Amino acid sequence: MKKRLATWVSLLTIFAMVTAGCSGNGGNANGNANSGADSGTDGGGKKGEKTEFLFWTPFSGADGPFMKEIVDKYNSSQDSYKIDFVIQPNGEYYKQLDVALSTGKDRPDLMIMHLDQIPTYVNKGQLQPMDNLASAAGINKADYVEAAINYATIEDKWYGIPLDIHPLVMYYNKDLLEAAGVTSPPTNREEFDAAVEKATNKDKGIYGYVVPTLWPQQFIFPTLVWQNGGDLWNGTDVAYNSPEAIEMIEWMRGMVDKGVSPGNVQQDGENTLFLQGKNAIQFNGPWMKSQFDEAGLNYGVAPMPQLGKAKQAVFGGSHNFAIPKDVTDENIIAGIGDFLKYVSSNSLEWAESGQALASKPMLESEEFKALPQSAIAESFPYVQFAPNVLNWPTISEPIWGELNNALLGKKDAKQAMDDAAAKSKQAIGK
Amino acid sequence: MKTTWTSRLTSALFALPYTVCFAMFLLFPIGYGVYISLHDFELLSEEHPFVGLSNYIGIFTGGTYENSVFFRGLWATAQFVLFSVPLLIAVGLGLALLVNQLPGRIRGLFRTFYFMPYAISASVMAVIWLMMFDTNAGFINSMLMKLNLNTIPWLTDTPWAWVSLIATTLWWTIGFNMIIFINALNEVPEDYYEAASIDGATAWSKFVHITLPSIRPVMLFVMITSTIASFNVYAQPFLLTRGGPGDSTKVLLMNVLDHAFIRKEVGSASAMAILMALLIMIISIVQYRLTYGRKERGA
Repeated sequence: MKKRLATWVSLLTIFAMVTAGCSGNGGNANGNANSGADSGTDGGGKKGEKTEFLFWTPFSGADGPFMKEIVDKYNSSQDSYKIDFVIQPNGEYYKQLDVALSTGKDRPDLMIMHLDQIPTYVNKGQLQPMDNLASAAGINKADYVEAAINYATIEDKWYGIPLDIHPLVMYYNKDLLEAAGVTSPPTNREEFDAAVEKATNKDKGIYGYVVPTLWPQQFIFPTLVWQNGGDLWNGTDVAYNSPEAIEMIEWMRGMVDKGVSPGNVQQDGENTLFLQGKNAIQFNGPWMKSQFDEAGLNYGVAPMPQLGKAKQAVFGGSHNFAIPKDVTDENIIAGIGDFLKYVSSNSLEWAESGQALASKPMLESEEFKALPQSAIAESFPYVQFAPNVLNWPTISEPIWGELNNALLGKKDAKQAMDDAAAKSKQAIGK
Repeated sequence: MKTTWTSRLTSALFALPYTVCFAMFLLFPIGYGVYISLHDFELLSEEHPFVGLSNYIGIFTGGTYENSVFFRGLWATAQFVLFSVPLLIAVGLGLALLVNQLPGRIRGLFRTFYFMPYAISASVMAVIWLMMFDTNAGFINSMLMKLNLNTIPWLTDTPWAWVSLIATTLWWTIGFNMIIFINALNEVPEDYYEAASIDGATAWSKFVHITLPSIRPVMLFVMITSTIASFNVYAQPFLLTRGGPGDSTKVLLMNVLDHAFIRKEVGSASAMAILMALLIMIISIVQYRLTYGRKERGA
């Protein structure tokens, strides 16, 4: 009997160990986050329990430490609230978020959300309006860039407080432009065409503008279409196969034909050449800055030139603070308000990561104006975001493969965009 | 009798950790996947109504988005499987034979060299090969230019994109197959070769009549695992070609993941994944039957 008992006990023990081992992995991420935050601050004379809340971000790249610094400074600046700061892997962010929101387990109290995701999450009933929180904390809509506020305001309710705006910008190699006799960065199509032609030097393998065929076309293509008076979405249907859009694709492909760009540019090919000093100009996002600094390039940043014929416009993204619908604890909401109020005037660290801020007091501060990326903010009056339509990521997905075909010269531009439009229509069941 | 009962229990206990983890991390997710595939499962929606087989029917109905996404992706994956599996087997075996011919110490060295890439993560693999393949700044094309040869658009034109993806896959994963084959080769009794040598057999006929039949079970194992791995191809095209040029290298798993997490249609994405799993199972069974049948005839 004794032996049997021993067997059962060992069986149970092993079972317990195994199951504990299995689940250990799952809970790990959160456990880490909490312990990390606990070791942070313990200041002041314990007047009562601090209100803690969980803050999720997708800043797994070089930008993570900058946001962490802001959070750490906030945590030690006051005694009432403590933020548990969590970085989720960038590529996994919305998968993790969807799962956390749908199961309600370990969901964040405050999260970073890209502006163009907000309409979708509002439509799914996952976000709560922030109007009350903002007015209680003294956060004014007027203090932020209008385009972002308008986008995040749905049926008169405000769902996202913007942290930054990251429009497409122009990076240029100062040495190459100078050698070509171009004294100032181009601001329109004529200047641009002339500059890239002058900068191209076939013998040295130097190109004026290397045309990307994949990412970051997701930023470039919309910018060019809008600048040329076209649209991606006309309110009811896809519109990116319009003559205005086709003309810009042909213009880009034309640079390959003229030889100011090499052909068959692969993923990141334009950036590789830029880093090697063989590509005079590239269009990319503000987040590239630290890479160029590390490479020791003599480069400049300027707003996108107006390459289309109609108007100045630029495609941008924006990181926003948003709150899940289920967050109801008044202390937590007050804490979030307090933190966001703090961020609106103490986010210079974030600008140092290369981003341009969305808060006007910050934009107008001397410290920000001293940074090279303050040039980016010049484009904020005409910045545009992804079409404000439900499921835009799904609708737009076919563009990139077909645009790739057109820019590689495998398909006629018109044909490629018509094919993409057919796929988009299929995707939304038209 | 009592000792057998406890010894059986002890054996069962040794299998328990695996069984529990297997159930939790494989059996349950598969079952849940099947469950999801029978529902209209929009991740963020509150309700996930049961829709029977309509997700599956949608995939097989011509003209739907699901249909074109699934079959375009399947076609890309099939091309990859068709070219990569024979090479994964042939090159793996070839390397194993070569490495086994080396004298003792160097053998270990080369075994490590060839196995090393297997331990590298997908993103590092991609960084290395993006630099190798770059059309205008890459290592391979620079070499070609030095030799006054035409450069090749490795990742932006077919069939080169496939050549590059398969070459990368070989470099990345061949170490595993090689190690398996080396072990199998070491298991073949030396007497067979000695006897054959006495009978005057050539190296080739020894290989065909002794080596190959002796390692057949391992060959089957390598064939099935390589096929499964090739069907699951994702990281190489996702990171190197991004599915391009156009969507010609956009493999099935890329489409399934887009469908699940960009379109957020987890229900029909699960249906696609289940169909893919069924297809892999059928192909594995066919491979097994072909090898097993031949073995029986041979015996």
